Amino acid sequence: MTKVVIDPLTRIEGHLRIEVEVENGKVVEAHVIGTMYRGIEAMLRGRDPRDATYVTERVCGVCAGSHGWASSMALDKAFGASVPAGGRIIRNLIIGAMFLHDHPLHFYHLSALDYLDVMAVAQYQGKDPGLLAVKDKIVKLVLAGDTAPLTPRYKPDEYSVKDPELVTMAVAHYLKALEMQAKAKKMSALFAGKQPHQSSIVVGGVTMLPNIEVVEHFRSMLNEQLDFVEKIYLQDVLTFGTGPLLPLAQAGVGGGALNYMSYGGFARDNENKDLFFKPGLIMDGNLSTILPIDEGKITEDVQYSWYKASANGKTPYTEDTIPDLDKQGAYTFVKAPRYDAKPIEVGPLARMLIMQPKDLMDIIAKNNIKPGAVARHAARAYETLLLVKDMFTWLDALEKEMGSKDFRIHDTEHWEAPMSGQGAGMTEVPRGSLGHFVKVADRKIENYQMVVPTTWNFSPRDDNGVRGPVEQALIGVPVPDLDNPVNIVRVVRSYDPCLACAIHLIDPVTNGIKKFQIGW
Amino acid sequence: MGNFDLLKAKGVSRRDFMKLVAATTAALGLPELFIPQAASALEQALKKPPVIWLEGMDCTGCTESAIASLNPSAAELILDMLSIRYHETIMAGSGQTSEDAYQSALKENFVLIVEGACPAKEDRYCMVGGKPFRKTLIEAAQKAQAIIAIGSCASEGAGIPGACATGAVGVAEILRNEGINKPVINLPCCPVKPTTLIGTLVYYLTYHKAPPLDSQNRPLAFYGTLLHDNCPRRGHFESGEFLTDWNDPIQKDYCLMLKGCKGPQTYTDCAQVWWNDNANFCINAGSPCSGCSEKSFYKEFSPLYAKQEMFKLPGIGQINADTVGAVIGGAAAIGLGAHLIATAASGRLSNKDHDHKEDM
Repeated sequence: MTKVVIDPLTRIEGHLRIEVEVENGKVVEAHVIGTMYRGIEAMLRGRDPRDATYVTERVCGVCAGSHGWASSMALDKAFGASVPAGGRIIRNLIIGAMFLHDHPLHFYHLSALDYLDVMAVAQYQGKDPGLLAVKDKIVKLVLAGDTAPLTPRYKPDEYSVKDPELVTMAVAHYLKALEMQAKAKKMSALFAGKQPHQSSIVVGGVTMLPNIEVVEHFRSMLNEQLDFVEKIYLQDVLTFGTGPLLPLAQAGVGGGALNYMSYGGFARDNENKDLFFKPGLIMDGNLSTILPIDEGKITEDVQYSWYKASANGKTPYTEDTIPDLDKQGAYTFVKAPRYDAKPIEVGPLARMLIMQPKDLMDIIAKNNIKPGAVARHAARAYETLLLVKDMFTWLDALEKEMGSKDFRIHDTEHWEAPMSGQGAGMTEVPRGSLGHFVKVADRKIENYQMVVPTTWNFSPRDDNGVRGPVEQALIGVPVPDLDNPVNIVRVVRSYDPCLACAIHLIDPVTNGIKKFQIGW
Repeated sequence: MGNFDLLKAKGVSRRDFMKLVAATTAALGLPELFIPQAASALEQALKKPPVIWLEGMDCTGCTESAIASLNPSAAELILDMLSIRYHETIMAGSGQTSEDAYQSALKENFVLIVEGACPAKEDRYCMVGGKPFRKTLIEAAQKAQAIIAIGSCASEGAGIPGACATGAVGVAEILRNEGINKPVINLPCCPVKPTTLIGTLVYYLTYHKAPPLDSQNRPLAFYGTLLHDNCPRRGHFESGEFLTDWNDPIQKDYCLMLKGCKGPQTYTDCAQVWWNDNANFCINAGSPCSGCSEKSFYKEFSPLYAKQEMFKLPGIGQINADTVGAVIGGAAAIGLGAHLIATAASGRLSNKDHDHKEDM
């Protein structure tokens, strides 16, 4: 048995260390380890609750907007604010545009280098002027002896795409996607002030009163995104997933927990009944039964995390949580959330398996694709297309609202913090299910908690010793060459990890979550 | 091989290169005359400079902001302008492969860019590659030809992490603690503004020295003016018109002081150079300035949204919402002498020489 350590695991958000043990060419043991801690929630205690949207926004600069959004939903409830339709739709557009940023960026810039032999570009023999320009660019970098940051890298393996035509096209799209992610951030900024780290989303709504020029600017940029997502991003994912990567897809490499959850997200009405992402739960891979979520079954363990176990008898909102760096047996700053004591995968694959859009399910069935790294990329690309199409209807709805006499974006009557209150903001963000929980006392934050997608996916063992979803997904992954563990990084990156998000002070016993409704 | 041939070998055409230089000098606010000079200096300097880009207690927002640039494009920044040898979020390699890339870049004449804060007292709060981030930072800083701290977390005050209980500080403070006397160029803002980063890099590569800096070691070109002095809502401030309701179209462009705006305490070019390809900026979006370019952000500027009963204004001290219209508007009505009072009140006189070493 040989131990393989990958640290830092790059091309993700944050600092991640992976330790696996390999026997006979396969992973038999795995630990995923978060190695950075900032302590943002603890810092929020005692502050003006309105600061939380601004401060938690800065938990992550990749899924920018996500935490500000969830935070505002938690505060809306604590303040008793009801967000007007204009505010709700503009929030959705700000975050929707960031999905269009996050998903292609994850595929092209964070993941694709695991699947491509980039240097095959030099062998391109076609006549497409665009692709020849790409070849020219790469060849010049090679001749100049400076191909950073495309090299150094793990050596291409049996699954790597080496066909010069395909690789050159993919590199051309890598460059195109760099432009599109910048444009998606610009779209979001039109309503958000700037991206990353928008300022527009506040408790009660948004601060940006739009005019029709801004809306139409957004719409024209959305058309360009639709074109890119439909004709390039999704097509690339399908071309690779059902072509050179089909063996990986059919083997289900990196399958994981087979339990999936979505809180639901992007309300299309003020009653939060009509959600774009549907809420639901799948247990033990049984896709024919979509279960409702019982919030009371969400708990959190810390036996293997560098935090002190909480004292008994306190409620989740009053107990303290303190880093314990010398704790015996602990190995990560990430905690272990569980549903009904089981590890759960969240994210695009979970959302798509719960919604089961026919076109995607047909592709999966026809090609006999199993849950795993490749399926995650396919689900992520497919939900991007569903989303970008739906966003046009959000723009229509916004324009209709703007035409009404009492168009509003903010609940100004509930701007000042209440004497006391509490609330949960639970929604779907690019990497999965996100929950923020706030308790207000004496017009200040008494306690603040976040339960974040990467905490679910990258959790360590729970108190029963059961591995987290990614730890499970790594078991059995083929590692034929110990110096070149490329399959491990493929599996880990397919979850689109965000460690800055994952590591927080969360109370070890979070049964209190059951007090809150899911589906916001 | 001539200098430009070298450049060409790096995959950059002369036309692309001139476009890049034009865009970046525009960001610096330098006249067009400067372009040939910058181009020739850059050609002299080229080789693309090797860059080690370290991430500590960060959120990757500064990387995301850098690649939000559309002009020059992110691809130009990553592939044409810089040789990014080590960058956790971008580089192809992982684990030992990335560590090897770091070690080999250390032997070159590299520029160090740092994103994120660093724990000063407890190394285990930020470990990368099995090593304390603090030690890696010190090692790289000692060998770097230049050190650029980007974003509020890596700059003085350490932004949001600086307000937390982990003892997080910026790059300069880590070096001071070690007795390392090396200049750090600070480019605060949460996140760093791409034009600021690219402009500073072009300046440095052109002149081989830091641009003129203020007391917080920020380039005066980007941090030399008070936001309040250039605010598009300034007229409403002087008229005593303050936004209280975001829904009211009449108040849409009113001053945001009652929503907590820190514009009068904040040196930044946000009012002149907007974000995301000039799409927008916080105040244009109706959001009060949080002061994220200042070392007082976030700890001393919190609460961010609370109604400010008294405003701190340079040169005049405390003033409140009810009297601002009377003091400034009334004074302006009296005549020339009063105009001087108004400008002093707003800080224009105190800042006209771009010297704010003793800012507030």
